[in-house]
Amino acid sequence: MKFSIERDLLLKPLQSLCGVVEKRQTLPILSNLLVKVEKDKLFLTSTDLEVEMHTSISVKGTDPGETSFSARKFLDICRTLPEGALIDVSKEASKVTIKSGKSRFSLTTLDPSEFPSVDAVEQGISFSIAQNTFRRLIEKTQFAMAQQDVRYYLNGLMLELSQKGLRCVATDGHRLAMCDGDVEIRTPEIKQVIVPRKAIIELGRLLDTTDDEIRVDVGTNHIHTVFGETTFTSKLIDGRFPDYQRVVPQGGNKIVIADKELLKQSLTRVSILSNEKYRGVRFTVSDGLLQVQAHNPDQEEAEEELSVDYTGGDLEIGFNVTYFIDVLNVIPTDKVQIVLLDSSSSCLIQEPGNEDCKYVVMPMRL
Amino acid sequence: MHFFKSKLQSDFSYKMKHPVIWPRAIILMDMNAFFASIEQMDRPKWRGKPVGVTNGRQGTCIITCSYEARAFGIKTGMRLREARLLCPDLIQCPSRPDRYAEVSSSIMEALSIITPDVEVFSVDEAFLDVTHCQNLHGTPEHMAHMVKQLVYNVSHLHCSVGVSGDKTTAKFAAKLHKPDGLTVIPPWESKQRLANVPVTELCGINKGIGGFLARYGVTRCGDMEKLPIGVLAKRFGNLGRRIWYMCQGADPEQVHVSVNSPKSIGHGKVMPPATIDREIILTYMKHMSDKVAARLRRHQFEAKRFFIGLRTQHYWIADKFSLSVPTDSVHDIMMLCRLLLDEYWNEEPLFQLQVTALSPSPANMQLEMFSETNDKQKRLHTALDQVNDRYGEFTLASARLLKRSEMPNVIAPGWKPFGHRKTI
Repeated sequence: MKFSIERDLLLKPLQSLCGVVEKRQTLPILSNLLVKVEKDKLFLTSTDLEVEMHTSISVKGTDPGETSFSARKFLDICRTLPEGALIDVSKEASKVTIKSGKSRFSLTTLDPSEFPSVDAVEQGISFSIAQNTFRRLIEKTQFAMAQQDVRYYLNGLMLELSQKGLRCVATDGHRLAMCDGDVEIRTPEIKQVIVPRKAIIELGRLLDTTDDEIRVDVGTNHIHTVFGETTFTSKLIDGRFPDYQRVVPQGGNKIVIADKELLKQSLTRVSILSNEKYRGVRFTVSDGLLQVQAHNPDQEEAEEELSVDYTGGDLEIGFNVTYFIDVLNVIPTDKVQIVLLDSSSSCLIQEPGNEDCKYVVMPMRL
Repeated sequence: MHFFKSKLQSDFSYKMKHPVIWPRAIILMDMNAFFASIEQMDRPKWRGKPVGVTNGRQGTCIITCSYEARAFGIKTGMRLREARLLCPDLIQCPSRPDRYAEVSSSIMEALSIITPDVEVFSVDEAFLDVTHCQNLHGTPEHMAHMVKQLVYNVSHLHCSVGVSGDKTTAKFAAKLHKPDGLTVIPPWESKQRLANVPVTELCGINKGIGGFLARYGVTRCGDMEKLPIGVLAKRFGNLGRRIWYMCQGADPEQVHVSVNSPKSIGHGKVMPPATIDREIILTYMKHMSDKVAARLRRHQFEAKRFFIGLRTQHYWIADKFSLSVPTDSVHDIMMLCRLLLDEYWNEEPLFQLQVTALSPSPANMQLEMFSETNDKQKRLHTALDQVNDRYGEFTLASARLLKRSEMPNVIAPGWKPFGHRKTI
């Protein structure tokens, strides 16, 4: 096996591939790349048994063959070589040699036939989606995914496929984010799948801001995405996502419209003196005014006042300030609409006049 | 209080003769043979006699003993049988943790008359920060006398008192004269007074740290000066820095007035040796889980992670389990106990059990989206807790607990007269 390639063509795909490789491995081969040369193409694959990424790049001076060697070390070598360097890779016996200019590296290899592959995708629903649309859906919802929750089905993003389009929903049991994308999907029924947290984060990195279309295949156990030369496959979480519709509050009658940037800045300042562990802040709304207060165990206090568009009686309600700031971070508009009912009911946050994205935050008792 | 009023009037002239205001003034109050002294006070016929306190009648280990017993060489931790060899007339006295807690509470409460800055260090020790009371009450030495008098007035018991400019030197001073002692080390003498003291005699320097220091040639407090503070900081972090100052009579540690929120809340018990009967184990599990759950509820805490451990002769069968939402219910904790028994235990003979709620947090603070609050269960817990608070632990309990262990409760070294540490 042999190939030559310019460093700069290899670097970006290699970085993406390394995102999939786990830092600590029990199976040595999982820290490796599967490297295959056929004609003038180099095929690279990385996996963690749950997520698999596969890409191909045009190369020169090839000699067909297949091997497997450390992904991280290969990336570090390429990264630290000078810009524009030409890299020659060749396999001799059980070693692979990387040469560039006056640099020479010899890496150990593992039998490529040992390299695990994620199963092929079953028949399912396929659709096309613009990269920027998919990216937007992920960016606006992924922060609400749970992390290592025992309710394993919360540690991911739920994709709901229906004739109405693609809806993404994430929740950790304290807050929820959902966002709708206008995508043409041909399916007679509504299908829900849960994509694991790691796959969502990697997908978010892979997607760019162009409106180039990518293909998405959703099977019963896998999701498969094709970006030109690159494919990204992930297992799905086998579980039932909670009934999210039930927790989106209905009938909140206290509607507060605030300047998003000013509110975010106020909350960020107040949060400095909130309890570091529980992050509780008190919101007090009255006609035309929102007050935010926080205090910590050292009896230090912070208070902010903000003019808002509101009429509808006084209300005091507590929130984890981090959950609120997370939402404000993904709202692009100048104004934000906060709908409240009472101090023990959840609150609905959204862009005023836009129903595409909805955020729900459960209150805290302070 | 009358006692203090008359004292206060005479303070002015006293102060004039001793005008020095210490930059920091800390008093350590240490009750002398606390449990044994209470027993001797409550039973006049035992006064002047060797008394050893054990955990119940069945207890074989001396928890503490009177000064008369100490004269025979009896020490805390000694087996009753060994102690009887040294002193055949030793009176065995089962411990009464409720009574000790009661006396301790009244002493600790009384100390706040002198200063609000009281840290209850253990059931029989307290630090008082009297820095800001020097203009009010007089010199630190005078306040130390006030502490002794006050403790005696409240409890009719004696204590030893150490006074200095920092916690470590005050504690060291209190140890110098026992029982019924009073030792003053003015802060400007602390460094010199500690110079020849072995570092391991200071509170908080154990053999491990002592061994580390010895490798650097530091065996006495006076040697510490030669060692750069960075060496200790690198190995032990902030604790290391504190030790460096401690040895030079300048412990920066504050007197902590409030009880920190708990890192864990747990209960454990020794089981009959080599227990393999699943029903007995479940009874012990229920007993401990019930105690943990009731204690969580008493202090309005709940927890999401629990440590459940079973001790075999040589090792622990144990794990940490997570629930999806935090709980204060015995049912949820028992579910985890059963899980441990079903999934981890292979009928190994067991000796001990531990159930601990990890990082408890204030209950019902963050509301949950997907779990309905179980009002029926909440009402049951409230009723149960009210009955047991009034008539005593386990007055109302599940039938399984009729067969619970008869071993008495033990008062923990970390006991406090208020907050989540007020438990036995």
